[in-house]
Amino acid sequence: MTDSPAVASDDMAGESPKNRRVVNLVLHILLIAVSIVMLYPLLWMLASSFRTNGEILNNLSVIPESLSPRNYIAGWNALRYSFGTFAWNSLVIAVLTVVGNVMSCSITAFAFARLNFRGRNFWFAIMLGTLMMPQHAVLIPQYVMFLKMGWVDTYLPLVVPKFLAVDAFFIFLMVQFFRQIPRELDEAAVMDGCGPWRIYFKIILPLSVPVLATAAIFSFIWSWSDFFGPLVFLNDVKSYTVQLGLRSFVDATSVSDWVGLFAMSNLALLPVFFIFLFFQRMLIEGIATTGMKR
Amino acid sequence: MAESAISNGLEQSRRWSNEISGYSLLLIWLVGFFVFTLGPTLASVYLSFTDYDLARPPLWVGAENYVRILTDDPKFRDAMHVTLIYVLFSVPLKLLMALAVAMALNKGLAGLPLYRAIFYLPSLLGGSVAIAILWRQFFSTDGLVTYLMRFVGYDGPGWITTPDHALDTLIVLSVWQFGSPMIVFLAGLRQIPRDMYEAASIDGASKIRQFFKITLPLLTPVIFFNVVIQTIDALKAFTPAFIVSHGTGGPVDSTLFYTLYLYQEAFSFLRMGNASALAVILLVIIAVFTAIAFASSKLWVHYDD
Amino acid sequence: MTKLVLDKVSKRFDAIEVIHGVSLDIDPGEFVVFVGPSGCGKSTLLRMIAGLETVTAGSVLIDDERINNVPPARRGIAMVFQSYALYPHMSVYENLAFGLRTLGAPKSEIKTKVATAAKVLQIEPLLQRKPRQLSGGQRQRVAIGRAIVRDPRIFLFDEPLSNLDAELRVQMRVEIAALHKELGTTMIYVTHDQVEAMTLADRIVVLRLGVVEQIGSPLELYNHPINKFVAGFIGSPKMNLLNIKVTGTNSDAANFDLAGTELSLPVALALGAPGITLGLRPEHVVTGNKGALSLGCVRVTHIEQLGGNAFVYGRLFDGQSMTLSLEGQQNISSGQEIPISIDPARCHVFNAEGLTVARQETWPLEHLSVNKGGSK
Repeated sequence: MTDSPAVASDDMAGESPKNRRVVNLVLHILLIAVSIVMLYPLLWMLASSFRTNGEILNNLSVIPESLSPRNYIAGWNALRYSFGTFAWNSLVIAVLTVVGNVMSCSITAFAFARLNFRGRNFWFAIMLGTLMMPQHAVLIPQYVMFLKMGWVDTYLPLVVPKFLAVDAFFIFLMVQFFRQIPRELDEAAVMDGCGPWRIYFKIILPLSVPVLATAAIFSFIWSWSDFFGPLVFLNDVKSYTVQLGLRSFVDATSVSDWVGLFAMSNLALLPVFFIFLFFQRMLIEGIATTGMKR
Repeated sequence: MAESAISNGLEQSRRWSNEISGYSLLLIWLVGFFVFTLGPTLASVYLSFTDYDLARPPLWVGAENYVRILTDDPKFRDAMHVTLIYVLFSVPLKLLMALAVAMALNKGLAGLPLYRAIFYLPSLLGGSVAIAILWRQFFSTDGLVTYLMRFVGYDGPGWITTPDHALDTLIVLSVWQFGSPMIVFLAGLRQIPRDMYEAASIDGASKIRQFFKITLPLLTPVIFFNVVIQTIDALKAFTPAFIVSHGTGGPVDSTLFYTLYLYQEAFSFLRMGNASALAVILLVIIAVFTAIAFASSKLWVHYDD
Repeated sequence: MTKLVLDKVSKRFDAIEVIHGVSLDIDPGEFVVFVGPSGCGKSTLLRMIAGLETVTAGSVLIDDERINNVPPARRGIAMVFQSYALYPHMSVYENLAFGLRTLGAPKSEIKTKVATAAKVLQIEPLLQRKPRQLSGGQRQRVAIGRAIVRDPRIFLFDEPLSNLDAELRVQMRVEIAALHKELGTTMIYVTHDQVEAMTLADRIVVLRLGVVEQIGSPLELYNHPINKFVAGFIGSPKMNLLNIKVTGTNSDAANFDLAGTELSLPVALALGAPGITLGLRPEHVVTGNKGALSLGCVRVTHIEQLGGNAFVYGRLFDGQSMTLSLEGQQNISSGQEIPISIDPARCHVFNAEGLTVARQETWPLEHLSVNKGGSK
């Protein structure tokens, strides 16, 4: 949908081909300039991670002179726990988040999109309302609650809510998708003797793989990049996620060991970058559709 | 008569079967909502009227927290000031950039997918700790941007160490992430039928006129969406401010985003009651903003029905 | 062979009543068609029989058992949907087997039943394909096959041919009729196309705005419509409905003025009665004076030659439009004025409420010879 062959949709009528070529050229130049500005920080950070702190002070180039991994190795074990530990924590939390979100949000979206029951519209409006709510309004009581339950310093505060469909964004995304599945399929299934659960598992879910995949990917990325949640709920370094580990690293390096930080930062960004590389279409379509159907 | 009572009874059970199905599936969300959203929100409201430091039970103090925050709290004023400046500058700049690039991309240029990917990547990575760290380096006294500026002859300020400019670096970081709203704009632009522009051209309308009379009005739903989402996100911003200022909100509270202030009150100073009051105020601000936005949307947002 | 009875069935959506107390009997093995314009409630009625909509008031009885509260899958009913509703992610075989699998039927039984249905519809080579790989007609057959597999007592069809192109529609129509002949099961078929209704039905139920206008065999409805609506709905091209005025009356005939022409028909009507309509089917109106009752002249505005027949459109003297359906190829051109006439036995007369006050059967044959536009 968003990737259909680009059609010039602005004012083509009445423009001479020569004019258009000039305009296009100018646009390309501008866009390339912007692209360079946009990407430069990332590329420079990548290149610098192979240099020393002295070298980066006046080196603007994005091509590393050597590919020495010394910063990476140093950074990996710089803290009491290795980066590998942090990565593992982040991974476990992210995977559980994905599973929880996909399962709970799809069931909820199915109820909203496909079932008819009194109060449905009311609860749907409330659900949409929670989309806007800041996390901070629930943070402190949640913290107190988890503290008393002994869940602080575990994955649980970050993961359990995901199994209870708290991420309204995904519910909304899936509701939009489900609405496009013809209702007659549900009716045919009813005639075939299915109750709502069977319709959900056998009909809707198999047909929803695209939106489930999109939700999974966004879920993973947001969980992996989440800083605030882990900051509040994970106090023991042993349970730190990658983001917390990075921040510890920042704190621990009293002298600016930027190249070390860069190396670790690159590692932290790596999974997100790879997902972007392979799934960017899905990500982009996901964002585009949420903005469209309002 | 007896027969109709029985059949009515059967009718009754069937009448509720929809609700049984619906709510049994909705149960998961309902539990999540009450336990993790509504409950804690109400608890926040309650705590905002107390003094609470986790060690002792909450002590009721009435509206004391609110009064102090609103009348006698310079940090609160700073935080509001900082956050509002951040929102008022970063959101329009970001959206203008997003719209401009989206329009440029919508001209049907070659390489659209590549450009789109390049512009989107920063917004995907941007909110993370890693990028915030990078930004810190960029704008620190021995950082890249400072170096670049010296190159050009401008002996710049110590960006992040100067109260006047620290916030600017964060605004720049926000605008750097224009890719996400850009994609939404692009999708909205593509939905505008090309014939409209062609008809307008035939009628002699200039490109500028076409933009204001066709493009903008038809984009208003998407503009509305982007404005609301980006504003709320900006109000909730945390990570960049935290990392760039080392958690202090400095220098001199010039990067003390509202959420950062809240975090400090709650977890550095353990003034949970006060922090809860701050949280409630934030909630109210967002709610009011959203309400106004939706109400005003009837006036300027043009849905084609 | 199953009989279905609807007893004063009503349906209300929120505050709006869309079906008003419909009662009808469907005999075992009958092919009944519900027909009517959009919004008449035919689909709603069908869905109530299926169990996809609840019944607000009244009873639905299958073989004398009240099934209002029986879930759809246990009513012994199968439905063919307008858009076929085939499960896109399942093969044809799985589509056909799905209902039985849900019921928990043993694998061998499923296999046999699917094979039988596939044979009846000649879709055996398609069993492993997915719906998207099938043509429209093939999908149709699979949808019907899915219904057959369930071995229902009643088949329900919800506008199954609307999504097919014209040629395919005719072919499938014939196949459905053949299917009914072979299986003999009671079938209820919903359509807005009166041609489908006329060709497939044993009996037709004409609906309008949630009310049954008339029930009868196709020819009954054609020959003896009980009101203006049914008369205008059945038959294509649509019946000409012309305003006429009662100018004179006596004991066994009335004179009418039709666009300046005087007619006399053996109808009992009061002098000056308002809102009288004369109904003439285009295929019954003839040119010249071949018909016993002269209708004056029609000025031709448009003619459509189809080769085997021709449709002539025109206006009467007072501007009322008139359509004729003539056999063969006609040497008539636009602008011509043509005298027309009709056999008076084929006239329908409707009163102000739209009810038929005169039908073929009520006219004794002797009167035919009398009228040539003059009063008796």
